[in-house]
Amino acid sequence: MTLNIVLVKRVLAIGLGAALALLLLPAPVFSQEISWSLKNDPGTFDPAMVDEQAAEMVRFLTGGVLLRLNRTTQQVEPALAATWTVSPDGKLITFHLRDHLRFSDGAPLSSADVVFSLKRALSPQAPVSEEFLDAKNVTVDAPDALTVRVHLPKRVVGIGKIFDEIAIEPANRPSQGRVTSGSFFVADYKNGEYVRLARNPNYWRHDAKGVQLPYLASIKLDILKNRDQDELRFLRGQYQLIESVPPDNFSALAQKAPRAVHDLGPSLNTEQMWFNQSPAAPLPAFEKAWFTSKNFRNAVSLTLRRADIARIAYSGHATPANGFVSPANKLWYNQSLPPVRENINTALTALAQDGFRKNGATLVDREGHPVTFSLLTNAGNHARERTASLIQQDLAAVGIKVNVVTLDFPALIDRLMHKQDYEAALLGLTNVEPDPGSMMNVWLSSSPNHQWNPSEKTPATPWEAEIDRLMNAQDSAASDAERKRSTDRVQQIVADQQPFIYLVYPNALYAVSPTLSNAYLTVLQPGIISNIDYIRAGAK
Amino acid sequence: MRLIAASILLVLTLTACIVMVRAPFHYDQQDRDNISIGATHEHLTGTDDLGRDRTLRLAGALLLGLLGAAAASAIAGGLAVSAGLSAAFAPNWLGRTILYLSDVALTLPWLFLLMMVRSSLPLNLAPIHSATLTFLLLGLLGWPAFVRANHARARTLRASSWLMQGRAAGLKPLQLGRQLLPHLAPLLLTQFLIYIPVCIVAEANLGAMGLGISEPLPSWGSMLLALQNSALTANTHWIYLPIALLVFVLLLLEMLLVEVKS
Repeated sequence: MTLNIVLVKRVLAIGLGAALALLLLPAPVFSQEISWSLKNDPGTFDPAMVDEQAAEMVRFLTGGVLLRLNRTTQQVEPALAATWTVSPDGKLITFHLRDHLRFSDGAPLSSADVVFSLKRALSPQAPVSEEFLDAKNVTVDAPDALTVRVHLPKRVVGIGKIFDEIAIEPANRPSQGRVTSGSFFVADYKNGEYVRLARNPNYWRHDAKGVQLPYLASIKLDILKNRDQDELRFLRGQYQLIESVPPDNFSALAQKAPRAVHDLGPSLNTEQMWFNQSPAAPLPAFEKAWFTSKNFRNAVSLTLRRADIARIAYSGHATPANGFVSPANKLWYNQSLPPVRENINTALTALAQDGFRKNGATLVDREGHPVTFSLLTNAGNHARERTASLIQQDLAAVGIKVNVVTLDFPALIDRLMHKQDYEAALLGLTNVEPDPGSMMNVWLSSSPNHQWNPSEKTPATPWEAEIDRLMNAQDSAASDAERKRSTDRVQQIVADQQPFIYLVYPNALYAVSPTLSNAYLTVLQPGIISNIDYIRAGAK
Repeated sequence: MRLIAASILLVLTLTACIVMVRAPFHYDQQDRDNISIGATHEHLTGTDDLGRDRTLRLAGALLLGLLGAAAASAIAGGLAVSAGLSAAFAPNWLGRTILYLSDVALTLPWLFLLMMVRSSLPLNLAPIHSATLTFLLLGLLGWPAFVRANHARARTLRASSWLMQGRAAGLKPLQLGRQLLPHLAPLLLTQFLIYIPVCIVAEANLGAMGLGISEPLPSWGSMLLALQNSALTANTHWIYLPIALLVFVLLLLEMLLVEVKS
């Protein structure tokens, strides 16, 4: 009996020891953390309200979605939904969820959560709602715990891709990314320092061998404005990737880490400047008159030397732009648009038509006000700051005085999106996918992202009304040829009216540590980590 | 030593003036075919990343920095001596309040306040106005650091026999003030010289954060910012010239100060 007790104790001790050892031993695959930087604090962790890049990155990594756009094949693939069908008239979409889905906190995920999340995404405040065209007439219901139906008032072309942007959250308890159904959840956030994402232990996805994904245990996203610091940390091995390498540092980085850098050619992204045309803007009436003048905008466009911007500000890693669709987007690019060539004489003629004249070296308007405006851009983006200085000099040639103002990103967004308290802005636009349907939120006059004049109740000008009509037409047209015709026409109107003055298409420049495996580089954003579930850190 | 330092500063300033006046181009003129180059016949110390002449921008930054910092220092010194004298000669409760306020002002996070002020300013501010405003703010914010010293000196003078005699003889405050100033002069000069490099460095820091003096006006801050941006890709050592000159000027100012102290 004593012996037995001793034996039992020993067995227990050994068993406990083994269990402890197992617990304490790091799992060989899932223990890694990778790290990279975000240029600014995410504006929000609420996946339904995302309206800028840092927040979009966090949503991509944390948000579980019904369908995922494969950035390599550009095809939509089922994610939380095991299957999905679209009715022949395109008005009913039915999703069948996977069995036994759970949120990161262990709570079961059912169709009620999906209905809740879709309804939030359809609310007028949610930027993604624009892409449904007529979001207020879209209804969502759940006939059973695993089925969700979305009823659309009319067909929306490429509807599947929209669901890539709608994260499914727990019903009635949105958690700002703390409880998610995606690969990771927000574990820790220190304002201005970092966002730490931890692996979702209940993530639905498994690899071919049945190992639960993602392989990585956590991700640390440092908030780092300084791009040179970003590179130094990458070279030191602190960061495993740079989502976009500043163009002027590309060759220097290529010399130091030739295996790490990749230039994928022109990206889908654009760099543009625009004037504030919002009637609500706190600007004097004569300035509003300049900015709403087609001739004024065209003259500014004709004065800018885009080739210099590409060569000097982007060290040659960019292409002069003539519209919102990049030539990299071969299917939708309007080949008949001519490149914009600077021509100061034509610019001055256009200005004269609207009563502008030179008074010595200064351009003055009809009433004698000297033409001067501030150009707002974000601090820390060297290429953009240099672009602003080049614009400043180019416009001085026609007598326009530009004051360049750099602000930190949150202050900038506040002025652009909320207060409309600015004159002109210089920023870029990241296009997540090539389909023009995804650009609806920029081009529809009612959209809050219609930046030169956001959230118009009715289109302010006939050409904006025409863009509205064409964009809606392309988004519900039955054939691609019809869609192409509409999109080409929109590109032509934009080239004529210059609401956005497109400057360059920056190249897609990436840096990836060779220690990172399974990262597929794509022109579509996010360019490196779109395959995040399968990415492994470690020796290659 | 002091004379040598002052002479070098004078020579530097005069050279900068001559460079500004005699240069064949403007400080913001971009030579777009010669970007980030080293020394050439046309550009003696090369160009920056927009093709602007480095010598000219450096001369502009030196003049603007010294002039602005001296003005800011004079404002800060004037405010500090006024506050110190008021605290020393006013009724006790008022004196204590002034000192208390200056101590509170010392504890405020001025950098963040400066950033807030800058972002709430009208956007369409001409570069020269942004420069004036930057140095004006530095002048208005610099006084609390010197109030205690001025107050202590003024208290000593207040208790001195000559001042008591003067007061007993019925001298008016203005007349008393005139007598006081020569006694405060060494202290004021020291404060003035201490605060000049502080202002230069503060402007450089603000500029390096994208605040402060805006482009295309040349300033230490914007040049340091350019250095920060292009340090990795530099193909010429001339890009280090601005920071070298800044350190040199700060050393010269420090030498002037040592001499005054001793």
